[in-house]
Amino acid sequence: MLDYVVRRLMLGLVTLFGVAVIVFFVMRVLPGDAAVMLSGAGAGAVSEKELAGVRAKLGLDRPLPAQFADWAGNVAVLELGTSLRTGNPVIADVARRFPYTLQIVVMAMLIAVLIGVPVGVLSAAYAGSWGDQILRALSIGGLAAPSFWVGLLLILLLVWLFQWSAPLMWEPFWVSPWKSVTQLFWPALAVGLRQLALIARMTRSIMLEVLGEDYIRTARAKGLSEWSVVMGHGLRNGLLPVVTLIGFEFSALFGGLIVTETVFSVPGLGQYVVTALLDRDYPAAQGIVLILAGIVVLGNLSVDLLYGWLDPRTRVQVTEK
Amino acid sequence: MTPPLTAVTVAAASTPSAARQASRLRALGRMAREQPLGAMGAIVLAVMAIVAIGAPYIAPFDPTQGDAAALSSPPNAGNWLGTDAFGRDNLSRLIYGARISLLVGLGASLLGVVVGAALGIVTAYRGGWADVVTQRVMDALLAFPMLLLALAMAAVLGPSLPNVIVALAMPIVPRAARIARSSVLVLKAATFIEAARATGCSDLRIMLRHVLPNTFAPLLVIATAYLGLAIIQEAALDYLGAGIQEPDSSWGLMMSGSATSLALTAPWIVIFPGLAICLTVLASNLLGDAIRDLLDPKLLGK
Amino acid sequence: MKNPDRSIATDATRRKVLKAGSAALAVAASGPRWAWAQTPKRGGTLRISSGGDPPDFDLHQSPTYLSQHVGAPCYSTLMRADPKDYNRLLPDLAEKADVSADGKTVTFQLREGVVFHNGMPLAAEDVAYSLERIRKPPKGNVSPRKGLLGNVEAIEARGARTVVVKLAQPQADFLFLVSNPFNVIVPKKVAEPLDAQGQGMKRQIVGTGPFRLTQAVNGQIYELTRFDKYFGAAPFLDKIQFFPIKGEIERSAALQGKRIDGCYFFPNESVLATLRKVPGMTVLRRPTPTFINVIPNAQRKPFDDPRVREALSLALDREAFIKTVGPLAGAFFHSMGLMPPSSPYSLSVAEVKQFGGYDTLPGLGGNLAANRQRAMTLLEQAGVPKSFKVVVPTRGDVPAFRDAAINVAGQLKTIGLDATVDIRDAGAFYAIETKGDFQVVVHSVGMGGSTPDQILGEGYTSYGGRNYGQWKDEALDNFYRQQSREPDPKKRGELIKQFQLAFLKTYYQINLAWVGYGAAYWNTVQGWTALPDLYGNMQFDKVWLDA
Repeated sequence: MLDYVVRRLMLGLVTLFGVAVIVFFVMRVLPGDAAVMLSGAGAGAVSEKELAGVRAKLGLDRPLPAQFADWAGNVAVLELGTSLRTGNPVIADVARRFPYTLQIVVMAMLIAVLIGVPVGVLSAAYAGSWGDQILRALSIGGLAAPSFWVGLLLILLLVWLFQWSAPLMWEPFWVSPWKSVTQLFWPALAVGLRQLALIARMTRSIMLEVLGEDYIRTARAKGLSEWSVVMGHGLRNGLLPVVTLIGFEFSALFGGLIVTETVFSVPGLGQYVVTALLDRDYPAAQGIVLILAGIVVLGNLSVDLLYGWLDPRTRVQVTEK
Repeated sequence: MTPPLTAVTVAAASTPSAARQASRLRALGRMAREQPLGAMGAIVLAVMAIVAIGAPYIAPFDPTQGDAAALSSPPNAGNWLGTDAFGRDNLSRLIYGARISLLVGLGASLLGVVVGAALGIVTAYRGGWADVVTQRVMDALLAFPMLLLALAMAAVLGPSLPNVIVALAMPIVPRAARIARSSVLVLKAATFIEAARATGCSDLRIMLRHVLPNTFAPLLVIATAYLGLAIIQEAALDYLGAGIQEPDSSWGLMMSGSATSLALTAPWIVIFPGLAICLTVLASNLLGDAIRDLLDPKLLGK
Repeated sequence: MKNPDRSIATDATRRKVLKAGSAALAVAASGPRWAWAQTPKRGGTLRISSGGDPPDFDLHQSPTYLSQHVGAPCYSTLMRADPKDYNRLLPDLAEKADVSADGKTVTFQLREGVVFHNGMPLAAEDVAYSLERIRKPPKGNVSPRKGLLGNVEAIEARGARTVVVKLAQPQADFLFLVSNPFNVIVPKKVAEPLDAQGQGMKRQIVGTGPFRLTQAVNGQIYELTRFDKYFGAAPFLDKIQFFPIKGEIERSAALQGKRIDGCYFFPNESVLATLRKVPGMTVLRRPTPTFINVIPNAQRKPFDDPRVREALSLALDREAFIKTVGPLAGAFFHSMGLMPPSSPYSLSVAEVKQFGGYDTLPGLGGNLAANRQRAMTLLEQAGVPKSFKVVVPTRGDVPAFRDAAINVAGQLKTIGLDATVDIRDAGAFYAIETKGDFQVVVHSVGMGGSTPDQILGEGYTSYGGRNYGQWKDEALDNFYRQQSREPDPKKRGELIKQFQLAFLKTYYQINLAWVGYGAAYWNTVQGWTALPDLYGNMQFDKVWLDA
C-alpha cells in the first residue's frame, strides 16, 4: 500500500512538472515575442527600446531553461505575477474566484452521485419499462449534448418558468451558505449532468448484474430482505467503478465547468481563464491554466489514492496503468 | 492474434476484383444488420457529409447576408428554420455550419490519431528513455481538461480554421498515443516482432506492416469517439469566441452573442444548432460503439 | 425612423448663448435652479447597472462610458451641462469664466474651499495639470479628446485660484469643449508621479466630486459613497452601487426583479418594449451624438488607396444596416454628413447622395447592386486580389460595436472580401485601435456634446485623438481651424458644410448611422434627467430615492 502511495505521488509530481513545461511552452514560447505579449496591451506603440527594457526586466533574454526555472520557482511560492487586465496580483484574483469554482465542482459531483445512483437503481429495478427506456434514451442523448447548450436551455427554462435571472452578487459559502448553494445549484447541475448520466448508466448495469447474481437467489430463498441484500452488494460492487468513473471524468468536468461559468456568468476560475486567454492577458492566463491543470492532477491523484484504498487488490500488488 | 480487417483483406486478395467487391459489400451488410444503431449513425454522418460538401448548392440563402425585413422571424414557409437577429436564414447557416463542424471534427480527430499513433508506435517500439519521456509528456497533456488545452492553443495561435483543428487535435494526441503504445507492447510481448526482425525486416517495415495494422482497430474506435468530442469542443470554442468568427457560420457561433439576448423571444435560434450538434455527436457515438462491438468479440476470439 | 423623446436642441440657441460670451455664464452662476415638486428624501443606496467592468478609472485616457459612468460622480469638471437646458453650462469648479475681447484668452476663477477625496485642497495647478494632461498626454498615456484642446496654446496657473488659458485663435465653442464630461480635474500631486510611472490614474479615483470610490471588485460591484466634504450642495443619496451586467436581457431581468433601481443602457428595442409594459417603470429613449463609422487604416495597404476606401463605402447598404442593427444596438438615425441628423449643420439629401454608397439611405433611391459592382471594379483597379482577407476587430460587450461589425463584415463579403470579425474585450479592443493594429474597424464614437468643434474637433481632425484611421491631411485640419475661428455664424455654417463635403470625399471615415440609447428606472428614482448625450449629467447629485 505504501509502495502504491509513493509511486502515485511520484507520478503526480512528475506529471505536475510536465504540465508546467507544457504551459510554459504554449504560453511563453508559442506566441512568439513574449516581450510584446507580457508588456501587455499598453497605450500607444511600444518602441523597440522599451521592448528591450521589458525583455531585460522580465528576463526574456536569458536562455529558455533559465526562464522556465525562474517561472517555475515563482509559481511554486504562488507568485503568479500581475494581471494586465485587472491590475491585481493574479494570486489575489485566483483566491477570490477559487471558492466559487470549488463549490461548483463539489456540488456537481454530489448532484451526479446523489441523483445518478438512485436513478440508476430505479432504472435497473424497473428495467424494460417505458420509464427506463426514456431515461436510457435521455442519457445517451444527453451525453451527445454540448454542456453549454444544456446550460443555455436550462437558463431559458428557468427564465420562462420562474423569471430567473443571474444573481448580481454571488454569495460566498461562508457568508450565507444556503443562499450560495441555491445560487450555484443551476450551474452545478449543468456541469454535473454529464457525470449524472454516466453514473446512472453504470449503476444501472451494475445493479442489473447484481440482481441476476446467484447469491441474490440464495438470499431470496433464505427469505432475507431482498432490498437490503441488493443494495448492499450493489453498492459494494458499484463503489469502485463509480470512483473510477469520477476519476476518469474529473478532467472533463473541468472542461464543462469553464464554459458553464461563462454561460451563467459565475465569477469563478473558469470564467477568469476564458477572459484572460481571449484578452491575451498572458501573465494571468499562464498562472490560471497551470492552476486548473494542477487541480486536475491533484484530483486524479486523490482518486487514484482513494481507489487504492478501496480496492484490496492494489494493496497487495501494484497494477500497471 | 489476427486482426479482423487484415483477415478480410487476406481472404479477399485471392478472389477476382468483382467478387471481392461483392463479398465486401456482403460483409458490410452483415455488420449493419448486427449493429442497426451503428448503421443508422453511419448513415446520418454520411448524410451530414453530403450536406456539408454540397452546402453551396443545398443552402437556400447566403448564410452571411441578412434580410433586414425578416429579423428573428420564427420558422415559416420562406425560412424553414426561421432567421436570426441579423435576418440571416438559420437553415443556411446550419448547413454551412455542418461544414465547419465536420471539417474540424474529422480533421482534429484524424490529425490527433495519426500524430498520436505515430508517436506512440515509434517511441514504444524503440523503448528506452525516449519512450519514458514521451510517456510523461503524454501524461502531462492528459492532465489538461480537453477544452482548456484547446482554448489555450486557439487563443495563442489565433482564430482561424487550421489553428482550431490543431488546437483540438492536441488533446487527442496523448489518448491515441496511449492506445498505440499498449498495442505495441502487447505485440512486443508476443514475440511477434522478434520473429519479424529475425527474418531481416527493417524497423520501419515492421512498424508499418505489422504494428500499424494491429493498432488500426482500436485507433478507429478512438477516432470515432473523439470525432464527437471534437465537434462539441469546437462548438464550445466558437461559443466562447476563440474559434470561428462572425459572420461565418458555425453551430457554436449561432448560439452566442445576440442569440442569447433574443433566446426568450426567439428560442429557435438557440435550439436548432444544439440539436444539430446532438444529432451528429450521437451518430458518431453510436457508430463508434458499433465499431467497438464489431471488433471486440473478434479480437477476443469469441 | 423613430421619434426621439426629446430632440437635440438646435445649435441656433447655443450660438446665441455663446455670442453673449461670459455674460451668459455669469447669469447661470447665480442662484440655485432646482425646484422640486416634492421634498427630496435623504439617504438610501441607488443601485444601477453598467454594461460591464470599467477597463480602468482614468477618464482622460478612457474612450468608454464604462469608465465615465463610474467616475463621473467622483469627479468635477470646470463647468457642467445644465440638466434642464443642454445648451447651457453651469459652473462646477470654475465660479467664473471670462473671455477676453479678442476671444483668445479665457480666465477661469476657481471656487474656494474645494478639497479632493484625500483631503488635499484644490489648487489652480491641479486644473492646469489636468488640462495639459488632456492636451499633451504624458509619455505612455493616450488622450482621445486631445483634439478638443487643440486650439489651446498655453495654460497657466496663477496663484491658487486662477487659471488662464491662451487660445491660438478665437473659438466660440471653447467652453463647451473644456467642459466635456471626460475632462475632469485630477490632483497634480497624485497624477504626476503615477503618469511618470506609466500607470496614470487607472487604478484609483481621487476627485472633487460628490461621491468617492469605496469598493471596486472586478466582475461584481463598484460602490461609491457620499463625500461629506463636497463643495457643492450635498447629494441626497448615501451610496451608489454599479453592478456590471453584460447582456441587455440580463440587465432588464435584474431591473424588473428590482435588484437594480435603474439602468442607463438599453440599446435593444425589444428589451425596451418589454420594459415599457412594466407598471411603475419609466423608459426613455435618447438620441445622442454617438455615431457608428467604418474606419479603414489609411496607413495600411491597400486602404491607403482612396479607391479602396470608396469601395468599402459603396458596399454598405445603409438602410439595411439601420433596419438590422437598429433594434439590436439603437442605431436608428441615419447619417447626413458628419454632424448629427437634427443639427442645422447636417448636409442635405442632394449633398450626401453624391458620395459612394450614401444613396442607400432610406428614400434616396440608390441602386445597391450597381454600387457593389462599382466597388468590385474599384478594388480590381486598385489591385486588391479576390477573397482578400480583412479582419474587423470589435468590442464584444456593446451591440453598437459587436453587431455593427458583424453586419458590416457580412456586407463586405458581397464585394469579394473575405471579412471576419475579431471580438475582444473593451480594454484589448481600444489597445488594438490606438496602436493602429488593424485593417478596418467599426467604431462607435460617443461625443460629449454636439457643438461643431466638439464633433469635428474630436472626431475628424488628424490630431484629434480619435484618428484611429491614422490619416494625415493638413488641408482638412486647416479647414477645421478656419471654421472654428469664424465669428460670423452664417459664414461659419457654410464653412462647416464645405468641411464635411471635403472630408466625405476622402472616405477616411465612412458614416453609417447615429445611435440612441435607452434608459429605464423605477419610479422610486427621482430627479434623474437623462440628457441627449451618453455622458452628461451622470453625477447623480440631484437624484433621490422615494422608497
